[in-house]
Amino acid sequence: MRKNQSLGEYLQGQGVSRRGFLKFCSATASMMALPPSALAQVAEALANARRPSVIWLSFQECTGCTESLTRSHAPTVESLIFDAISLDYHHTLQAAAGHGAEAARMAAMEENAGEYLLVVDGSIPVGNPAYSTIAGISNLDMLKETAANAFAIIAVGTCAAFGGLPHADPNPTGAVAVSDIITDKPIINVSGCPPIPVVITGVLAHFLTFGAIPELDALGRPAAFFGQNIHDRCYRRPFYERGQFAETFDDEGARKGWCLYKLGCKGPTTYNACATLKWNEGTSFPIQSGHGCIGCSEPDFWDKGGFYNPISAGMWGSRDALLGAAAAGAALGVGSALAARRRQKKAQGTEI
Amino acid sequence: MTLLDFARGPGLQWSLIIMIVGLCWRVIGVFLGRWRKDLSRPRSDDLVQGGLRAIITRSAPAPELEKNIRFQHYTGYIWHIGFFMTVLLYEPHIAFFKSILGFGWPGLPSHLVVIPAAITLAVLVMLMIRRMTHSVMRMITRTDDYLSLIIIISTLVTGLMAYAHMGPRYETMLALHFISVELLFIWIPFSKLAHMFFWLLSRYRIGTFFERKGVKA
Amino acid sequence: MSSLDTIPVTAEVASGNVKPLLHEVRHALKRLANGEDGTVIDLQSIPLAPGEEARIEELLGKGEVRAELDALGPSVVQETSYPGVWLVTHSNTEQVVVGRFIEVTHMPELLKSQQADIEHAISRLEHELES
Repeated sequence: MRKNQSLGEYLQGQGVSRRGFLKFCSATASMMALPPSALAQVAEALANARRPSVIWLSFQECTGCTESLTRSHAPTVESLIFDAISLDYHHTLQAAAGHGAEAARMAAMEENAGEYLLVVDGSIPVGNPAYSTIAGISNLDMLKETAANAFAIIAVGTCAAFGGLPHADPNPTGAVAVSDIITDKPIINVSGCPPIPVVITGVLAHFLTFGAIPELDALGRPAAFFGQNIHDRCYRRPFYERGQFAETFDDEGARKGWCLYKLGCKGPTTYNACATLKWNEGTSFPIQSGHGCIGCSEPDFWDKGGFYNPISAGMWGSRDALLGAAAAGAALGVGSALAARRRQKKAQGTEI
Repeated sequence: MTLLDFARGPGLQWSLIIMIVGLCWRVIGVFLGRWRKDLSRPRSDDLVQGGLRAIITRSAPAPELEKNIRFQHYTGYIWHIGFFMTVLLYEPHIAFFKSILGFGWPGLPSHLVVIPAAITLAVLVMLMIRRMTHSVMRMITRTDDYLSLIIIISTLVTGLMAYAHMGPRYETMLALHFISVELLFIWIPFSKLAHMFFWLLSRYRIGTFFERKGVKA
Repeated sequence: MSSLDTIPVTAEVASGNVKPLLHEVRHALKRLANGEDGTVIDLQSIPLAPGEEARIEELLGKGEVRAELDALGPSVVQETSYPGVWLVTHSNTEQVVVGRFIEVTHMPELLKSQQADIEHAISRLEHELES
């Protein structure tokens, strides 16, 4: 698709009828949680949308976010959105390699200065920037260089949004999030490990339709998808209220589909759309499959006391520390009792 | 670090450590303290029975005093029982104890635990108001007592609000509940609340003391 | 999917949204009968418990008209047993449902031939006649 072609012209060129285009728009509007009455506006906006240049930088990541996106849902809707953008640089999906690939990136940045979208997955090591490099350029430098003329940045996945797995204690590479480095550009955090695919494309669709970033929550995540916590939308909530919990993974409670709170479910403190949108085209989500939510869309979810410790258990430390405290207290008790006895003996001048 | 991370992490660790240090210090300090030698002739040789009996008899007010302290005594029982039901029979609390002790126990359906919790809170607030307005109670109540009341009431209020998803965002409310409980942990050894660890031994001691003197009290 | 179906989860949950939804349809029908514009309701935007969407479909029933579209995957436009109330289901080429709507209208827009497509058809026909 030529860059100065609108999305409407592009789809027409692909043989998509106006009727097909309207179907595409209504599905996209529904995906963005817009009311059906907005269809006309969405259709008009998408028909005239210019194809944005997108540069996708992959840093300290596992490629799970790209995998999630490319395995996604509807090759028709999602891939159309993906086709609608001009993906000018992406390690896994691009054909070019080496100098040619880097040249393509620089060309895209120059041609679309101030207008291109920068998508980042993976965290950025600042402990020693040499831990992760591309074409000899450290992630840190490449991010700063590429973000300078970007319109906005989408941090895909918990690694880019909050640091993710590399950031987990003891964070040997000094991994940080995109927002820790870039502070002068709008950043949309699409967190999750990986994020739900339709959330990624929903953000892109919003950008295509409105040319602006969607409403964000306090952590910079699109409020439309991260506004509710899992617990409030979980279908196992009635069991939580009734106090019916699975105690182990194969007991009677687990077989009956009871609440997984005692097996470490972090649903009450996790905000994501898993309980409503679900995964694999609405097939299921972790809780429905019998495993508690691990809170993968929240910052530092690896360091919240373990996936199998309930929220109420807290991270109270070790038994050794508590026994040590008891010993210290006992020592203080013995000491103070002896001191008291000595004082009394002195005062009374008698044997005890 | 978010407030909840602090409350579930270092806050919990250090409050538990302080509570254990304080309790061991106090209990062992009391035990090893000097007991005055009783030089009188013992009137009975079954001191143990005397001690055990006192544990039971002191659970009820002395018949002569009963009608004076009836209200305080029975409301005290109501809120103590309600408080222990709330703390020990709510499943997320049981999960907390299980992680420390290694064992748990059966609990009540969660939505039923709200009842003893609410009753306990209502009774405590009423008793606190009574303490502040009753002429005699006002004279004998100290800062120590008010602080104990406020801290325990705050654990109940924050717990109920978190349960009902009322007030601030859930994570904040939950963190506040954790912190109020941690304040309680720290306060217990250094206040009159330590009576929860002394009351059995206290009654036993009084029982043996009076038994030796030949007094059935 | 089959082994997932054997998970015996028996949560009896009701969203309480079925009746209000049908009332909304009733109001929309009244407005349509009075000559006002039609209404579109996005079923995927309403929290429904498992099984409730099927129940709504069952309650609305099937009417006289059923149209199958083949545009970017199959779509089905079914008039329900209540004339004026249409159930539109969009699927993609993988047969996955991407949109479900209740349209209260004389005829869903999507069934009509679109202006842009008609203009395109004219140029194609002219081209065909020339050759």
